[in-house]
Amino acid sequence: MSNAILIVIYAVSAILTLLPLWSWALGRWYQAGLVSKLNENEKLIGSILDDKMSISTSNKISLLGAEYSTLLHVSLCVGPSVGQIFFMWLKSLFGGRLHSYDVVLDFGRREALLRLKQQAAERGCTSIVNIRIETSVVSFAKTQNSKQASVEFLAFATGIR
Amino acid sequence: MQGQTISLMMSNVESIPGKNIVNSLGLVTGSTVRAKNIGKDIFAGFKNLVGGELKVYTELLNESRNEAIQRMMIDAHARGANGIVNVRFATSNVAAGASELFCYGTAVIVE
Repeated sequence: MSNAILIVIYAVSAILTLLPLWSWALGRWYQAGLVSKLNENEKLIGSILDDKMSISTSNKISLLGAEYSTLLHVSLCVGPSVGQIFFMWLKSLFGGRLHSYDVVLDFGRREALLRLKQQAAERGCTSIVNIRIETSVVSFAKTQNSKQASVEFLAFATGIR
Repeated sequence: MQGQTISLMMSNVESIPGKNIVNSLGLVTGSTVRAKNIGKDIFAGFKNLVGGELKVYTELLNESRNEAIQRMMIDAHARGANGIVNVRFATSNVAAGASELFCYGTAVIVE
């Protein structure tokens, strides 16, 4: 009886101490899935939109002939997993490239742009001008130095038809 | 004004494409400060085990940003404008657990 309790306590503590490792592995696996899904979606929407939709960051293009315009805005919150944050903290002692952040931030920005294009297509826009992308750290955690920080990407643009 | 939705023409370029600006009525702003509730907090904590997109935060921010835009529109509507040009957004972390979403633009009358 006491043996069983000991085993349970041992197993729970083993899982808890290895939690960063679990979370790191789960995060890598889950985010790889997200990125491959995003790649597919980008191909899909690219094949539909690229021919007829022009996308630019310029606001100096000729806007004559436009009969309809609308403000498009998309925001997206992403964050790495707690295990990845822990290992990145270790890595940042030595400096160098933080691969996990690379993946997550790249995913977030591309996803935001993709949704912007989808939103434009839904409203029947034929081109998107003056795209701006902003990045900000959004932390809704109640304590000041919490690890639950996430990064918000905001993409906004004018869609015209 | 509460509960009533106003729809104005908005753009983030210097004019409203296809329209002529007749009169400029100055700066209009809208802002909102939001904190999340504890249920979403716990859910986001679980989601943080795998990372990726945090949908509860995304929804919360979208909802709040729409409210900020709505306030900006009310401001512009009160001045008699029918369009807002050069709209900009800003997000800042004002306190632990709260974010301010702010948007501003120039109210104009177009024809």
